[in-house]
Amino acid sequence: MVFSDPILLGCLLTVFLPLSAFALIMIFTRDNHKLSLAISLVASTIPLIIAWTFFFKLGGRAPIIYNFDWLVSDIVKVPFGFLLDPTSLVMLVIVASISWLVQVYSIGYMAGDQGFGRYYADLSLFALAMLTLVISSGLLQLYIAWELVGLASYLLIGFWYEKFSASEAGKKAFVVTRFGDIGFFIGLVFLVIFYGNLDIATVNAAAVSKSMPPWLLTASGLLIFCGVMGKSAQFPLHVWLPDAMEGPTPVSALLHSATMVAAGVYLMTRIFPFFAASATTMTVILVISTITLILSSTIALVATDIKQVWAYSTVSQLGFMAMGLAAAALASGTLFAGYYHLTTHAAFKALLFLCSGVFIHHYGTNDFFSMATQGGRKLLIPMACITIAALALAGIFPFAGFFSKELILTTLAHLDNKLWLVLGLFGAFLTAYYSFRVIFVMLFPKAPEAYLKVPGHIPHVEDEAHGHGAHGHDDDAHGHGHDEHHGVPWVMVFPLLVLASFTLILGFCQGYLEKLLLGASHPHAMNYFLLVAAVGCALSGIAMAWLDWGRKDAKCVGFISKFPALQTFFIQKWYMDHFWRWFLNRFIYGIFSKWFTYNDRRVVDGGVDAVAFSTVGSGRLLSFIQTAFLQYNLLFMVLVLAGVGIYLMMGR
Amino acid sequence: MNAVSAWLTPQTAATAAFVMVIGLTIVGALIAVGARNIFHNVLGLCVSLFGVSGIFLFLNSPFVALMEILIYIGAICVAICFAIMLSEPMYLPPPPRNKVKVLGAAIGAGGIFVFLGLLLKKTQWTAAPERSTDWSVTTIGHYFLTNYALIFELVSLLLLVAMIGAIVTARGGRSKP
Amino acid sequence: MLLFNQLQTYLFLALVLFVIGLYGVLARRSLIAILISVELILNAASINFMAFNRFLAPHPAVGQVITLFIMAVAAAEAAIALSIIVAVYRKMRSINVEHATELRG
Repeated sequence: MVFSDPILLGCLLTVFLPLSAFALIMIFTRDNHKLSLAISLVASTIPLIIAWTFFFKLGGRAPIIYNFDWLVSDIVKVPFGFLLDPTSLVMLVIVASISWLVQVYSIGYMAGDQGFGRYYADLSLFALAMLTLVISSGLLQLYIAWELVGLASYLLIGFWYEKFSASEAGKKAFVVTRFGDIGFFIGLVFLVIFYGNLDIATVNAAAVSKSMPPWLLTASGLLIFCGVMGKSAQFPLHVWLPDAMEGPTPVSALLHSATMVAAGVYLMTRIFPFFAASATTMTVILVISTITLILSSTIALVATDIKQVWAYSTVSQLGFMAMGLAAAALASGTLFAGYYHLTTHAAFKALLFLCSGVFIHHYGTNDFFSMATQGGRKLLIPMACITIAALALAGIFPFAGFFSKELILTTLAHLDNKLWLVLGLFGAFLTAYYSFRVIFVMLFPKAPEAYLKVPGHIPHVEDEAHGHGAHGHDDDAHGHGHDEHHGVPWVMVFPLLVLASFTLILGFCQGYLEKLLLGASHPHAMNYFLLVAAVGCALSGIAMAWLDWGRKDAKCVGFISKFPALQTFFIQKWYMDHFWRWFLNRFIYGIFSKWFTYNDRRVVDGGVDAVAFSTVGSGRLLSFIQTAFLQYNLLFMVLVLAGVGIYLMMGR
Repeated sequence: MNAVSAWLTPQTAATAAFVMVIGLTIVGALIAVGARNIFHNVLGLCVSLFGVSGIFLFLNSPFVALMEILIYIGAICVAICFAIMLSEPMYLPPPPRNKVKVLGAAIGAGGIFVFLGLLLKKTQWTAAPERSTDWSVTTIGHYFLTNYALIFELVSLLLLVAMIGAIVTARGGRSKP
Repeated sequence: MLLFNQLQTYLFLALVLFVIGLYGVLARRSLIAILISVELILNAASINFMAFNRFLAPHPAVGQVITLFIMAVAAAEAAIALSIIVAVYRKMRSINVEHATELRG
């Protein structure tokens, strides 16, 4: 059956090749770097080919579902299987492509690292989990893959586990996302108990046909959104994502910007009809994602670490996607806007990270002011690519971001309350400002002294033996060789070029994708006012950045420094980390932990001790009966026998 | 004289003999349990066992009565005498009676007496419908070697084990030669 | 009805003998006296068997056979008990059961 059906075989290969690569590398070839690389590349290339083949062959067809019932009872049905419909095919292509590109890129980035084999094993594990997540047909299977993705993320964030901050960041990411996943799981349990089926297609159909009680839709929708909140770093669970930048930069590109964090938004698209059926859920999502958008954009204004900037930008763009989906649901639109932004964002954000990775690799610092002062613009291809990506992020025609952002803003404009649209435009303005702050600093560096006033900036010290802030391998000897421009490895440039071309092309694929996803293209009337407003916001953001950072006699302090209190507030990341620290101390350690400790000490240990003591004590008590006077024992037996006997005789 | 001869029928004589036998049994048992001197206890046991063997005679089993005397009085009582000689010296004064213990024993035994007495009183004993009249020793021997052969063998094994066990226990362990 | 021709008489006699033996087992302190009491109990059982054999049993040899078995078992029991008594006396210099308190709790 498997071999006679090429589609099923393809699905199985997509899932099990990375799995076997992970197992092979972990068990056998971890110390052989070349062999590990070969295995991992083979196991990511074949899924890539399969994904693109599926995309073109099955794109226009009806959804293909393979379901194997794993758990069936009279009220509960939990299927395992594959679901290939346009939604999952697009995501499949995104994941397989970026995964492959990152693996190629990492050949250069990770060269010479001690844990090279382990790195590729973890990447394969991630590929397995993410591909399974994308094409799984049931919510439980999706949840399992979801948790596996979290595991891969933990392993990769803490990849340089000798570094304390990296292992801490891994733990933080794991725990915070788990926090949201509790909600996700409870939501699934609700669905199982009160609806009894976890099949995605069935759940969606049920939500559309209103055969589910509304309270269940709202309750489990909100609970499942908790998982999305954790995974897609929405307020207030976004705190793990910036810390996750401790991982290697290709990992940040793959997991923490393009694919894994988008899994939350993907889940929302996946069961979009289900979410959309409850207006309450969607309003909550809209509020939370808007807060996320504004919060993370403002923090990105003041970050000095290039990866932090892109991390907060990722958070804000994820919020933007969620806004698009929620607004679409509230205004009875389609999932296309949010999902399309996911697609374009995957391309340009991965490009941003990979370009930053080149700079980080080259200059051995994460601080983009230091990069700039060391002559970052001399790396021509990465500089060009990062500029393209930043233009896309800011939403400038003709780059991909322009089209998708435009679409989301249009969706927001359909809402009755125009506040959301205004906030969205404000977010677009901030996005353009912070991304071009980075670009202008890099393109038009000033003397190092000019940046001394920037809060958070640590000036580059020349004789500090190429302080590898980002990655700990000391064997690449080009830490501060900015005059000997010995080029960037080809394997690192190639993915940049591929992604840059995607960034350019994707914008013009809008009609094709829309037709694929929705079955028909809906040519909507161009809202020229909105178009002007959006582009105006983006351009004013860029102009602002030019005035603050780019022009020759720029003051090199952000406009935000006019409001010192606000600036401190942003630099302290809205005090969210402080909040969570306080929350942990007050509630988790102060209440739950204390109670559980008390419970453990007193009830569990106490219970065991009580059993032990009572056994010993009753033994002591019973031993009093053992008086060593045999005849008393016998007498007792005789008396009882006589008593019982007489009692029985009386009855007759 | 006539009155006396009329009174002295075989039945009367047998009854008198039976009463005497019962008396022997019970008085002997009382001495065996009640006397303070351990040697008197053994003698009382002997008397009681004589009585029991007389009862067996009344129950149509002269062979078993004979075996009673032979085994119990001839073997067991003599063995008990040996044990008395090997253990506590006779001249030591016996410890005073423990009132609580005696009372408890009396109540326990009395309770059992009441229970079994009631059982005895309330049970209807019915004889087998067809009863053989073959009382001969030959039949007993025949039974030993046919129906009860396995038990017979087991008893012989038991006796062997008891003999070995008695020797090992009384020998005083391996340390003493 | 003659006294010695009734089942009840014998059963009652056996009962009395058993109770006397039981009292001895419960009250006496000397191991040998307890052994003697046990012999009385065994004899009570024998009398019961013989009585049932005489008055009720379908075949009158069976009860006698069992009585003979009881005698054999009693002999074995006496042998073992007496050897234990001798061993106990050697160890404790006493055959008083109340002195055997090594296993007191």
